[in-house]
Amino acid sequence: MHKALLLIVILLLSYGFWLSDAFKGIAAGVSIFLFGMLSLEQGFKAFTGGVLERILQKTTDTSWKSFGFGFLSATLMQSSGLVSVITVSFLSAGLLDLVAGIGIIFGSNLGTTTGAWLIAGLGLKVNIATYAMPLLVFGVLCIFQNGKQLKGIGYILTGLGFLLLGIHYMKDSFEHFESTINLANYAMAGVRGLLTYTAVGIIATIIMQSSHATMLLTITAVSVHQITYDNALALVIGANIGTTVTAIIASFGANIQGKRLAGAHLLINLCTGIFVLFFIKEFSIAVDIISVNLGIAVSDKAMKLATFHSLFNLAGIVIFFPFINQQVIFLEKILIEKRPDIFKPKYLGSSAMDFPETVVESVRLESIHLYENAIHIIVHTFGLHKQDLTKNDSLKQLIEQNTQPIEYDIDVGYEKRIKGIYSAIIAFISQAGFTWEMAQSAKLSWLREANKHLVEAIKETKHLQKNWTRFRTSNNQDTINEYNKIAYQIVLHIRQIEHFRQGIEDNELPLLSLDALKASIKNDDLQMNRVIETLIREQKITPETGSSLINDSAYMYNIKKNLLKAAETLFLHSAGHAGIEHQLTLNEAEINHVVQTMDSQ
Amino acid sequence: MRIEKLLHKLRAFFDGDNRKKRQHIEELKKILLKLKKKERKITHALQQTDDEYLKKHYQTELEIIRVQRKKGIEVLQQLKERKQGD
Repeated sequence: MHKALLLIVILLLSYGFWLSDAFKGIAAGVSIFLFGMLSLEQGFKAFTGGVLERILQKTTDTSWKSFGFGFLSATLMQSSGLVSVITVSFLSAGLLDLVAGIGIIFGSNLGTTTGAWLIAGLGLKVNIATYAMPLLVFGVLCIFQNGKQLKGIGYILTGLGFLLLGIHYMKDSFEHFESTINLANYAMAGVRGLLTYTAVGIIATIIMQSSHATMLLTITAVSVHQITYDNALALVIGANIGTTVTAIIASFGANIQGKRLAGAHLLINLCTGIFVLFFIKEFSIAVDIISVNLGIAVSDKAMKLATFHSLFNLAGIVIFFPFINQQVIFLEKILIEKRPDIFKPKYLGSSAMDFPETVVESVRLESIHLYENAIHIIVHTFGLHKQDLTKNDSLKQLIEQNTQPIEYDIDVGYEKRIKGIYSAIIAFISQAGFTWEMAQSAKLSWLREANKHLVEAIKETKHLQKNWTRFRTSNNQDTINEYNKIAYQIVLHIRQIEHFRQGIEDNELPLLSLDALKASIKNDDLQMNRVIETLIREQKITPETGSSLINDSAYMYNIKKNLLKAAETLFLHSAGHAGIEHQLTLNEAEINHVVQTMDSQ
Repeated sequence: MRIEKLLHKLRAFFDGDNRKKRQHIEELKKILLKLKKKERKITHALQQTDDEYLKKHYQTELEIIRVQRKKGIEVLQQLKERKQGD
């Protein structure tokens, strides 16, 4: 369904591009703008846990400070839209909370009104798009540097550059639309005029992607008496509502917090707009009084418009700023985060807490549930399915023959299949831990360790995935072979653990089978490293690829070891297996001796 | 003389500790037998496979079983000696 929709959108866009060059420009502008958002986010992420968090924490730890931050930024950048876009990025990167974000929006709403003063007072319009090119150049230059922070700065600059470039493209493509908006032809009086011009203000700002552009048009029109002063006021209100669309577009590429902030921006500006529309006469009178006090001439409609712009944004702040927390609650209610279908614990009910034995058994069963999910993630990372483990097919062939790109997202898999269950197990063990006797406590402690091994195995798989995805399509066949070997050895190990599990049910000396698996892990590691050394020596692979392979073979070793340790605790739970069989098991030194003997043969 | 031998056997039969030792020996023998069977099964699998990695794995498994059996036979001999000593 999703793919079909994508195809329809692509076809529609292609048709639009064929029809109109302006449409092509607008679409490109939106795309560049969204790409800028992604770049900004990536840049801010480079600073998480460091300087930026501290600066932001200090400058946004109270609502008033956030307000000040927003006011200053919007005054300097001369665009409330841009400030809200950046704030959406901050929020998406987790550097800000929604309360601080809304505070910044309030501040930027007031900060942007300085632009009207500049336009009206100095006839100056700050063209932010001219900054795009140097920002892009400096940004890309920084991205090519080695330091993490420099790269971060590079992404931020490039992101800003793309944002401005995107707006520039949109504006350029709408140039002929702009020329058709001749305000003098549409002067209207009364409530009808008020509502119509508010709508015109909204639409014009959405189209031009800049409330400054609308302000410029309005101030020019009113100064040459093309439109009435009342219509101009409505246009300013409309521009203030329309400017929120920038943040809304930006929120398409953001997470739910970003979307909530865009929602907050719309909510604040819309409510303020409606409020001011209701009391437009009172506001008009207030502007006259303030203008007189500021020494603005009665005939200077442009300056009066700037005063109005500041006044009504200030009114919005006075009315809505004290209710930031209520706004957050409201937004969280209407914009609910869609979570993936997260796996929930199956066995950790409150009734299981009644007896120590039931606690231990339910934790064990839940841990097996976690084990199954961990196996799912690991097997999918290598492009296989759990069913492949039970089939008689050669795993080696399945891996080698699969040349399709594998894009399994381990982070999503972890969130969905592991995190919830793992947290529930840990919480369950900690709740129960205080009341029991030693035997149960020890068992729970082992189970906790087993869970930890599983999580470790997934983390190691994530590390390994990076190079596995990269090198399996390498031009060097030896590299491909070694990476396929790593994947094969891991999934085969999982299959062998499944056999071991089956051996427990059939009483096929499971405890003794473990020794062979332990020896195999050591042996594989030894062999793998030897092969890599040979490949480097014979110059079949580069030393760089060799070092990656050595690291990844260490990940493989740890994955196998962690899985086996978890399986040992989870599946060998019955004391019945530990009797006489235990006398025949080999200790570490004996296993090492076997491995060395095998190696020397 | 025959009665003495019979009495000795009866005493041994009713002696719980002795019975345990005997059970232990029997179970150990069973495990050794299972290991032997497993060894045969893996040897067969080793002959069947063309996969070099699996071959290596089976060889390791066989070597482990060999050491485990050796260990088991030593334990068995010790148990038998101890039983005879009683």
